This record gives sequence, structure tokens and C-alpha cells, in this order.
Amino acid sequence: MIARGRMTACVRNPPTRILVLGFVATLWSAYAAGGEPVGDATRGAVVAQACAVCHGKLGEGNFPLGYPRLAGQTENYLRKQLEDFVTGRRSNPLMDAITRMYNEQQRADAAAYYASRSAPYAPAGAPADPRLLARGRLLVRTGDEARQLQACANCHGPDGSGEDFAGPCLVGQSATYVVNVLNEWKSGARNNDGGRQMQVVATRLDEKDAAAVAAYAESLGHAK
Amino acid sequence: MPQKLKETDVVIIGVGMTGSIIAKELAAAGYKVVGLERGQPRFTVPDFQSPSVHDELRFDVRKALMQDNTREAVTFRNNSSQTALPIRRWESFLPGTGLGGSHVHWNGQTYRFQANDFELASRTRQRYGAKFLDPDISIQDWGVTYAELEPHYDRFEYLLGTSGKAGNLNGQIQPGGDPFESPRSRGYPTPPMKEHFQGATFRKAATSLGYHPFPQPSSNLSQPYTNPEGVKLNACVFCGFCERYACEHYAKAVPQTIILPVLMRNPNFELRTGCQVQRINLDSTRRKATGVTYIDAAGREFEQPASLVVTTSFALNNVRMLLLSGIGARYDPSTGKGVVGRNYAYQTMSTVASFFGEDFIVNPFMASGASGTLINDFAGDNFDHGGLGFIGGAFIGAVNTNGRPIQYHPVPPGTPAWGKGWKQAVVAHYNHTIMLSLHGSSVSQKQNYLDLDPTYKDAWGQPLLRMTFDFPKNDLRMAEYVTARGVEIGRATGAKQVAGNPRKGPYTITQYQTTHNTGGTIMGSDPKTSVVNKYLQSWSVSNVFVVGASNFPQNASWNPTGTIGALTYWAIDAMKNRYFRNPGPLVSA
Repeated sequence: MIARGRMTACVRNPPTRILVLGFVATLWSAYAAGGEPVGDATRGAVVAQACAVCHGKLGEGNFPLGYPRLAGQTENYLRKQLEDFVTGRRSNPLMDAITRMYNEQQRADAAAYYASRSAPYAPAGAPADPRLLARGRLLVRTGDEARQLQACANCHGPDGSGEDFAGPCLVGQSATYVVNVLNEWKSGARNNDGGRQMQVVATRLDEKDAAAVAAYAESLGHAK
Repeated sequence: MPQKLKETDVVIIGVGMTGSIIAKELAAAGYKVVGLERGQPRFTVPDFQSPSVHDELRFDVRKALMQDNTREAVTFRNNSSQTALPIRRWESFLPGTGLGGSHVHWNGQTYRFQANDFELASRTRQRYGAKFLDPDISIQDWGVTYAELEPHYDRFEYLLGTSGKAGNLNGQIQPGGDPFESPRSRGYPTPPMKEHFQGATFRKAATSLGYHPFPQPSSNLSQPYTNPEGVKLNACVFCGFCERYACEHYAKAVPQTIILPVLMRNPNFELRTGCQVQRINLDSTRRKATGVTYIDAAGREFEQPASLVVTTSFALNNVRMLLLSGIGARYDPSTGKGVVGRNYAYQTMSTVASFFGEDFIVNPFMASGASGTLINDFAGDNFDHGGLGFIGGAFIGAVNTNGRPIQYHPVPPGTPAWGKGWKQAVVAHYNHTIMLSLHGSSVSQKQNYLDLDPTYKDAWGQPLLRMTFDFPKNDLRMAEYVTARGVEIGRATGAKQVAGNPRKGPYTITQYQTTHNTGGTIMGSDPKTSVVNKYLQSWSVSNVFVVGASNFPQNASWNPTGTIGALTYWAIDAMKNRYFRNPGPLVSA
């Protein structure tokens, strides 16, 4: 049966997290069959030394290169992505090879480690266009009926703060990474979410709206 | 004096599922259509979005999406010797209000009735003899057949994108589907939902007993879908907040996700919300409607003249609208004469709870409104009733829709109703119980009916609808029989303890059962025993059509929405191809 993951620092609104627990059925359908290891953050710190090259010493991410922030990410999201790189459900030339150098226990440990970490956010650069941020805020929190776009918050938590088992935390994520990953969803290069939720959403976001969501997500870290 | 507005071709009373579909079709055919909706306008964005949409206190307990019964209630009594009192808090059934109507908070369970259901009276007589039924039962044939409705069921399912597995394709039984279903012309538009653990456990147990489990047909979709209107729906995420809630994911087929985007763009259609229709107006002959009178949200009274009036409100409100307007003769239970309000029926719901140990983890919250597994072996007339002393039956299934913490806490019989003992039992059983629903049919009988309350009025001074209802003995016998079958299945799952809870009388309005209120404006082939003809046209006022579950002469073993949708398209065809070409009665009385 499913190991009960700890709620991570990124989930700021505990009462709402239970509301989307059911989402596990979609996201975990290929992965939840019994017997998987329980992650250990202390052991994970050792594994994570290898990740630091790209994802930052503290898991803060590499903003110019668009390597995602891992610190404070929801544990079950991290675990699922690591397993998906191994099985080929998700593919990235670097991650495919690296994840296969570790066993399932080690990957679970790394996920537990990063989920438990906090790390500084990237400093605000040149101020983003306020209209772009306002549009991003609207899409994350409310959605857009004209494009049949639901709020990102439905799955990614209030203001993108993450929902364990449902959707990853977006707060303070690299805008470059968010745009890249939305493009992967749109092109079909990434399709490991089970119900094709993200493909539908990414297809309905045009380039400008994708940039708006990404800029807003990154800016949420600046507010910290 | 009401302000008289410019005449329109069609007025729709109630812009819910049937109202939106009819409005869309008639507006597209070139008619000017005015849709009058008493509630508020609302759309997936921004009205149904997280986090507010998952507020269990607001929607489950306080019933935020339901008809405002501080302004417009229904009065209730079990029989004519009692004095009815207004229902001040909805519990047994939950009529919705607002744009999209009750369809916004439905569960997405999208069944077809069987061929037998539409000819229930004659087929029962044929199979079991004229004296089989209790004498006060008033079931009758619908005046329309399954074969006539099949293309319309099909059209409705493709509008919704229903996810399911066909069991009978043009007479060929399909493995994995429901072998008892009447033939369908093609499969469901989308594949069935993923089976949850409760469903899988039930399927194994039911199969071991020789029954025929199949996935519940769901209009919370299994995959993204574009319907024939060009409107797109998303895949369901199994969040467990369907019934009593609106869907934030564009994954549940409701007017907002299947038809309103098209309807709202059509310049022939005008939506007016906050408009409470008081009555359908008749001319001096009382054989022709001239339009409707309504009061808007600011309290202003308007008369909207129209050539055709279609009432598409919730079943109970359709009945009330005809009673308030004096269309058709009121049913009188003492003489059996009159038709409006006659044959009110409901649904006979029973449950079986199977309690397991702590190592058996169910995760009930991983569900949608229609992601279960069920059997029809004991539904309708799928089994021999000879010697059983009742007609009808129930589907039996692991169709639990949620594990919401305020509403869902299964506990074994004998558990204290509150306090420490209750809390301990909730903790022990919440994640280790499989609930089976037994969704039973409901026969109509002479004592059960709807009329206007002599005492209580709504906020506009109009009499409330009065419901007089108790469970027919036929249905209580049915509930006992099918619950015993459900208990056998529960035992076959290997549960430690199985508790059957067959529906017992008297009917209470203080416990949730279903919102499947049917009858009162029933269809048929004889104006002496029906309110509308087979095309849902009023026998007495030919430019009034009445569409909804109020047309059902009695209720079958399944949720009504699929059949309401089929009747809707059936009636639209009659309006477009027959009525508008030659306005007047489509069937001579």
C-alpha cells in the first residue's frame, strides 16, 4: 500500500491538501503497487551531492540554465519523476542516465531529502512587466473561461504552493524551466501525468500566457 | 401592471441541462429564444475554482448550490391524513438552482433505461399476469419505446462524452459490458474510467457468484474529449467532489462544459437570470399559451409573450408550474381523476456495508461520481419475479463517490451515534469499508402525488408544492430482496462483517437518498392518464412542452439523467420537424 509521504514545507495550506488526495489515482497509477521503499532524508543528503552540480548546492536550482528548483518540492512528485526517468515515461538526456545510476531506495531518499529542504530563492532581477505578472497571477489563481483554462491552483495548491500526490510546487521555480516544461507538455515530449491534464492545459496556453505563468511562479519566490 | 415585453418565438423556463439543449437547438434552427433562469449565472471559471469549490461545509452541509428554500420550499407529508410542513433544510433530495441547474452538481452517472421499462405495465401483465400487482399501483407504459429513443440516447451520450463499456452493440453481447442492456447502436464515446479498489473488490466477488459486473458509465470523463458541438472537456482527476459540487476541472459534463459555450454565442438566444416565472399565461380559451409572467431580481414584473413555452425546470418545479398556471386537470387521489401531480415516484435506495480489518486499505477518497463497478443482475426485470411478490429491482454496485471527511464515515451497526465510541469506530472503519449501493426502482401508486399546498406560500406569494409520499409496499419488498443479494456479495468479498440496510418505511425527508424525483407531468398515450403526449407536448395546451424527469410514469432502477437527455432530444426533434411545421396538437386526443 501507499507509503504516507510527509507533507513538505512547500504545502502552506494543510486543510486543502486532503481535498486533492484523490488525484493520486491519476498520478500514481503506474507506481503505487505495493512494497516501494520509504525515503530517508538523512541518507538522501549523501545521494543529493551528485544533484548539486546542476540543481544547486541547496537544491535552489540554476535559473540561467533552467534547471529546476528541488528544495521544498513535494516528495511524491520528486519520487515519481525520478522513477519515470528510469522507466522512460519521462525523458531527459541527463536525467535518464543519472537516475539509473541509483537504486529505488536511493532515489526515494533523494526525494525525501529535497522535500525536507529549504533554500534561498533567486534574487529578483529586472522587474518583470506588471501586466505579465497580473496575467500570470490570474491564470494561476483563477483561470480563463474563454480558453477553458482552469486555475493552476486546483492541482498545484493555493498560489502554486504544491499539493503532495497531486501537483508540484511552482513557487519560486525558474521561469525558464517552467516555459521549457510547458513546451514539452505541448509538444508531447513530456506526457507522464496519467490523465493528459498538462497536455491539455499547455496546449491552451499560448506563448505569452506560458511566459506569464512562468514569470508569476518565479516571482512568488521573490516575495519570500 | 407588469411591463409587456416584445414577443419572442420561444420561452424556456429554467436554463439547466434540458433547457440549454433545447435552447441551443431551437436558436440554431433560427428561432428567437429567451431563457429565463431564476438563479445566478455561473461558469467553470471563475465560479467553480479551487480552493472555494471544495468547501464541504458550504456545499455538503449548507447546500450552497441548491434551490433557496427560505424563498421557495416544498411541503411534505407521508399521507393525506397528515398536515404537510415545509422542508426547511434539503436532505432527502437536492434540487439545484442557477445556470446549469441540478446538472451542475450531479454525479455523472449516465444510464439508459431498458426496453422493458418503457412498456412496464403491459410487459408486467404479459409476464406475470393481470393480478400480480398490488391494486393501488398505477404504473403505466410511457407511450414511447426504447427503439424510438435509442438514437436520442446516443446523441445525448456523445454530447456528454460519456465514458463506459458497451454491453450490447446492435444485439451482440460485448464481454466486460452490461449484458442486460438494451441494444445500443454504437459504443460509448470514451473508454471506461479506471477501476478503483472498491470496484475491483466488488467485481471479483460478483464474478465469483456468477454475476455480470461492468464499469459504471460516467460523464466525468476518462480522457479529454471534444463533443459534436465542438466543446472540449478534460479528464477527471478522481478528486471525489462531484455530487453536491461543481467541477473545477472541466471534466464533468454539465451545461457549462457541453453546450452553454455554443448557446451563449448564438444571437438568437437571450439569457435572463434572476427571473422567477410566476405562471404560464393562457388566452381566454385556456387552450393556448400567450407567454409567461416573471419577476426579476429587482422585483419588477414582466410579461414575456411567446409563441411556444417550454418548461424545463427541475421535475418538481415543472409540476408546480403547470399547477400554478392551471394547465391540465389536477390529480385528485380520492377520485383518481385528473392528471397533473399524478404518479409521483422516487427511488428506493438501500446499502450494504462490508467492514474489513486495518490491513485492507480502501482509500475511499480516490473516486469520482461515477467511477464504480456494478451489476444489473437484480435490476429491472432482469430476473424472474414469479413468486417474489414485487416488480422492479436495483443495480448493486461499489459506486461510492467520495471519502469526504464530514459526510463519509461508515460504522458498523450498534456503534454509538456520537461521542468517543463513535469517533473510535470512524477511525477504525473509514479506510477499511466497502459500501455497496442498491439503487432501486420506484413504482407509482395512487396515494403518492403532488399538488399545491393550501397553507404555505413562496417569497412571491404563490402556493408551495405539496408532496404526499410514502414507499409502496412493492418497493419495500423489493429492497429487502435485493439487499439480501447485496449481503451475499459483501460476504463473498471476504469482509469481516457485512451489514445490509434495506430501505424501510416510512419515507423520511431528513436523510439523503437521491435527487431522482420523478412524475407529476407524466407522458403517455391517453390524456386521461397523462399530462403530455409522447412528444412531451401538453395534451390541453398544445404550445406548451414539458421536459424532464416529471415525464416518467414511474421510476426505473437507474439514475434518470440519461433518459431525461434522450427525451430532450426526442422532444426537440418533434418540435423542429413536426410542431413548427404545423403548430397544434401532434397527437389527437
